Amino acid sequence: MKTSTEKARETARKELKSAPLESVIDGIISEKLNLDPSVLEHEKYFEIPDKMVMFYKYSYGEQSRFFSELMNHAELYGSKCKKCGIVHFPPRAICSECYGETQWKKVSNVGTVLSSTTSWYATSEFFDKVPYAVGYVKPIDAETGMLQRIDLRGREKVDPGAKVIARFKEDRKGVVSDFWYEVVE
Amino acid sequence: MKSYKQLKSERKRVAVVGTGQTKFEARTPQKTYYELALEAAMKAMNDAGVTPENIESVVYGIYNDLFERQIMPDTYVHDYLGMYGKAGIRITTGGATGGYAFRSGYSEVASGLSDVTMVIGVEKAQDCYDWAQGKTTPEVIKSIAYSADMTWEFPLGTSAASSYAILASAHMDKYGTTEEEAAMVSVKNHGNAMNNPFAQSPMKITVDDVLQSRMISYPFKMLDCSLYTEGAYALILMSEEKTREMEVNNPVWVMGIGSSNDKSFTGSRTVNDRMGRYGDIADLRNHYESAAQAYRMSGIQDPRKVIDLAELHDAFSFTEIQAYEAMGFCERGKGGKFIRDGVPMMDGDLPVSPSGGLLGAGHAVGATGVMQIGEVVNQLRNNAGKRQVEIRNGIGLAHSIGGPGSSYCSVSVLGVD
Ligand SMILES: [Zn+2]
Repeated sequence: MKTSTEKARETARKELKSAPLESVIDGIISEKLNLDPSVLEHEKYFEIPDKMVMFYKYSYGEQSRFFSELMNHAELYGSKCKKCGIVHFPPRAICSECYGETQWKKVSNVGTVLSSTTSWYATSEFFDKVPYAVGYVKPIDAETGMLQRIDLRGREKVDPGAKVIARFKEDRKGVVSDFWYEVVE
Repeated sequence: MKSYKQLKSERKRVAVVGTGQTKFEARTPQKTYYELALEAAMKAMNDAGVTPENIESVVYGIYNDLFERQIMPDTYVHDYLGMYGKAGIRITTGGATGGYAFRSGYSEVASGLSDVTMVIGVEKAQDCYDWAQGKTTPEVIKSIAYSADMTWEFPLGTSAASSYAILASAHMDKYGTTEEEAAMVSVKNHGNAMNNPFAQSPMKITVDDVLQSRMISYPFKMLDCSLYTEGAYALILMSEEKTREMEVNNPVWVMGIGSSNDKSFTGSRTVNDRMGRYGDIADLRNHYESAAQAYRMSGIQDPRKVIDLAELHDAFSFTEIQAYEAMGFCERGKGGKFIRDGVPMMDGDLPVSPSGGLLGAGHAVGATGVMQIGEVVNQLRNNAGKRQVEIRNGIGLAHSIGGPGSSYCSVSVLGVD
C-alpha cells in the first residue's frame, strides 16, 4: 500500500510544468525592463511587475447549435418561441419574454443595423484593426439583434437603418467572429 | 414600497450623516486600495462624529477584480479598517457599483439589521499595465472589456466606450442630438471641476476643443470620455432613531431610491416586452424606470421644479444628455436643447454635476456613485465650498449607471427637512 504522501508525490511528477505563455509574458517584461529600468519606481514607493493568466475550456450549452451551424455550414440560426412567436437572435433555448420553449430557425443573412459605432482606439489585441465598426444587427426575419463587426470598406461610420449582409470566414472555428456584416450598396 | 412620507411619520427614515473622500487622481502608487479606503473611512467617521465601534456593518463598492488584481478585495479592506466581527458585503455592478452599494447600505439600515452602516467605494483602476506597448490605458480598457459577454460580444473588439457610443448614435439618429450639444456637457463638467479640490480633471475648455479632440469611438471624442481614476469615497448611514440618540444636527435623509436593470444584450431591447415602452436602443428604459420608482417613493411629482441639483453619471458626455430626459428634467428627445438653454449650468435653474461629474472629478468606478451621492449630501448641507449651489427646496438627486449598454441604473433622491 502506498501512503498518502507517496500518492501525492506520484501525482506531482505527472503534472505538466508551468505553461509556456507565462514565460513569453515574463520575456516581454524583462526585455522592457532591460531597455528602461525606470518604468518601475523604487524610491518613493516600491513597484513590481505582475500578471494574471487563465486558461479555460467551456461549452456553449444549449446555444451550441448556433456555433456548429456557423462553423460547419456558414449559416445563421436564431430561435423561435413556440408560445409568443418572437425570433431571438442570438438564440435562447427558453424565451426570456414568456418562458416558452423555442425551436431552431435559420435566419436571413440580410439584416438591418439598429445602431453602431466606429472604434478608433482599442486594446492591444484589436489595435491593428482600427478603425473598425461594431453594431447591433437584426436579421430581417428576427425580432432581436446581436452585436457584430460591420466592414467599413472605406466609410467612417455605418448609420442606423443601413442594410447589411453576413459574410463568413473561410477558416471558421466555431466562434462569434467567424462572420461579419457588409453594407449592401 | 413604503413612501418617504410614511417612513417620516413612522420615524423610520435613513440619513446620511458623514462623508469622506481621498483626492481623485489618475494614479495613486503611494497607497494600496485598502489604504485609500481607510483614508476615506476615517474622514467620513470623523465628519459623522462616530467611531469604528459605532459602525455595525460595511458595504463595499468595488467594481473590478482585475483592477485590484484580487478576487474578494473587500475582505482585505474590511481587515485593514479594523471591521472584523462586523458584517461586510461587496457590491459590483459596473459603473453603477457606487449607486447600488448605497442602495444596499440603505437596505441594511432601513431593514433594521444595522443602525449605523458605512458605504465605501474604492477603486485602483490604473495598475493594469500593457508591457508590450509600455502603456496603462489599453490594459485598463481590456480589463473592463471583459465585462462584455465573453461569448457573444468581447471577441468582436467591443469596449465600454463602444457600448455607450452605440446608445449615443441611436439617440442622435432618433432625436437629432448633436456632437456640439454633447461637447457642451464636457465643457460644463470640466469647468465645474475647477471648484472641486478633489477633482482629477479640472479644465477650462471650449466646445471646439472637445470637437477637435482625438476620435475614440464615434461619436465620442477624447474629451467626451471620462478618465479612469483611483480613489475612495465613504458615507456613514444612520437610522432616524440613532440620529436622535446621537444628536446629529445635519442629517440628510434618503427620500427615495429606484433601481432597474435593463437587458444587457442591448440588441434584444427591440422587443416590445414587459417594460412596455420605447422598443429600441435610443432610450434608456431602465433610467426612466429607476427615476419613476425613486420619485414615487419620494412623493415627487415635478422633478424639474423641486430638485435643486443633480449629479448625473457622465462617463460619456452624451450619457448625461440621455439622463436629462430619463430623469424627467425635460421632454424625451429634448436633452440637447436642455443644455443649449443653459438649465444644467452652475447658474442655471437646475445645476447638474457641480462636482465636475465623472468627466471633471474622475471615474474611480466603485467610488464614483458614492462620490456623486456624497456631493449631493454636501450641497444639501450647504457645505460644498466654492461650488455651492442655491438650495431652495432642499432636494437633490444622484444617478448611477453602468454595465453593457447601461444595463444598470440606480437613482437616489436625498433631502433635508
Ligand atoms: Zn416567448
